[in-house]
Amino acid sequence: MGLNSQIKNTSPDLSVQLGKLRMKNPVTTASGTYGFGSEWADFYDLSELGAITVKAVTVKPRLGNPMPRTAETPAGMLNSIGLQNPGLDAFLSEKLPYLRNFDVPVIVNIAADRIEDFITLSERLDATEGVAALEANISCPNQACGGIEFGTDPVLTRQVIESIRKHTKLPLIAKLSPNVTDITEIARAAEDGGADILSLVNTFVGTAIDIRKRTFKLANRRGGLSGPCIKPLALYMTWRVASSIKLPVIGMGGISSAEDAVEFLLAGASAVAVGTANFVNPMIALDVVNGIREYLISQGAESVREIIGTVR
Amino acid sequence: MAHFQRNEYEFEIILDAPQIAEEALPGNFVQILYDQSFNPYTRRPFSVFHSDPESGRISILYLARGVFTKGLRDKRPGQKLSLIGPLGNSFQPSTKPNVSHILVAGGVGAPPLYFLAREIKADPSKECRVAVINGARTEKLLVAVEEFSELGAEVRCTTDDGSRGVKGIVTDVLKEMLEERSGEACVYSCGPTPMLRTVGELCVQQGVNCQLSVETMMPCGMGVCMGCVVKIKDSSSETGWTYKRSCCDGPVFQADEIIWD
Repeated sequence: MGLNSQIKNTSPDLSVQLGKLRMKNPVTTASGTYGFGSEWADFYDLSELGAITVKAVTVKPRLGNPMPRTAETPAGMLNSIGLQNPGLDAFLSEKLPYLRNFDVPVIVNIAADRIEDFITLSERLDATEGVAALEANISCPNQACGGIEFGTDPVLTRQVIESIRKHTKLPLIAKLSPNVTDITEIARAAEDGGADILSLVNTFVGTAIDIRKRTFKLANRRGGLSGPCIKPLALYMTWRVASSIKLPVIGMGGISSAEDAVEFLLAGASAVAVGTANFVNPMIALDVVNGIREYLISQGAESVREIIGTVR
Repeated sequence: MAHFQRNEYEFEIILDAPQIAEEALPGNFVQILYDQSFNPYTRRPFSVFHSDPESGRISILYLARGVFTKGLRDKRPGQKLSLIGPLGNSFQPSTKPNVSHILVAGGVGAPPLYFLAREIKADPSKECRVAVINGARTEKLLVAVEEFSELGAEVRCTTDDGSRGVKGIVTDVLKEMLEERSGEACVYSCGPTPMLRTVGELCVQQGVNCQLSVETMMPCGMGVCMGCVVKIKDSSSETGWTYKRSCCDGPVFQADEIIWD
């Protein structure tokens, strides 16, 4: 091999473009598993990631659900946190300024029970410097009303995405729930509503029971299942949506290695998010970036874009 | 790494972890992972039992009774564990002279209290009383009994079935101790939630300073997942309380700020 090809092969181009959202590599974090980023700065430079997706922000602070909120499951966990977060004002004044220290796009996940609140969030964040995109959380399984209800009905999905669309010029990501009969129907509704990007999947609704106490392990009785146990399900849904809808897809659900991430890219995701695995291995998101690079080198690919959606 | 069986269920694991040994304080914990096990999937928190900055070693005491701890039991010297730590806040021993330090341990709540007892005893300026009430359901589940005695602390054991020490629960003995005390006392406790609640309520009633190290599920241990929260009084909140994370705002909280459900 000549010197030129060697240089090329040691540094494949990892950058991806999802509509107007440019990422230097295809790896972001799944909302709710990465806080507002600061905890990870002890482990690596946040600028190494393609984007950071922060925990859901609501208009007002939310206390979240009663304890216990989590339960261990084989190859995963259940959570019913209930969107505990400091609210929009505190996010803007206390959390976002820290992230501006890094050269990384910040995707803000927004959650609400009412369309009016989604509009408030979109308007305020649209006017804020340092926000790269909005991710509409229409799929949280842990809210009494709203949340998942928006994301399991195609009419409501279209309505809520349309309303947000009217109030922001930022790239708009619709985060889809897997708890539906046909995820492509919801994906199409989000596309019709004006979403630029689709992210999938949020957690699967599940539960666990303590057989000694004869009670649910979660105070809220049910929660969202995440972790490696959901990966085959999430990968299948990613493949279905990516192969039937034109919008770029951020694939997620149980990714805990670079190999897992590559599967999602091959299935058609233009980017991937690492979620629950962050809790187990705080270095994992960066490991996935490096592992994707090594995979591309081993395959002789010059760009990650060469492999996206190549398994059909 | 060294690994000892101390009795039927109790194991001690000694780990080379110089950075953690350098920084660890009584009440701190580490998040442990081995082999990338998938059942359970997330890490488990363990309080530091003993930390020696000079040798760069820490030790953890645990009871091998569940899936995770039975797997941990099979680890041998030379094998590696993944640790994140030290995490969390620490006990703040009273610095007042002549205060009675009363440490109330329930089962595997004993290790961080032993670390605390050592720290208090190591300070020669404090000629103070250290009393330990160490309780469990039965003798086999009592943890670190010998170590507390070796430190020169007054140790009283309680077991639900009377197999060792007083038949009864730790709060029976605590009640007596608080009634008989002369001068000021400071109570530190770690153990199961119902026990902590009783200890905390008793101390609040009697106006005794009390620090509780809470036990909760702790998927991340780094303040991110919000899965380990405790209801804490907060006058600035509309509800009068807020949820604080036991992994980084705790695990040690003042008894009078906790709201028990």
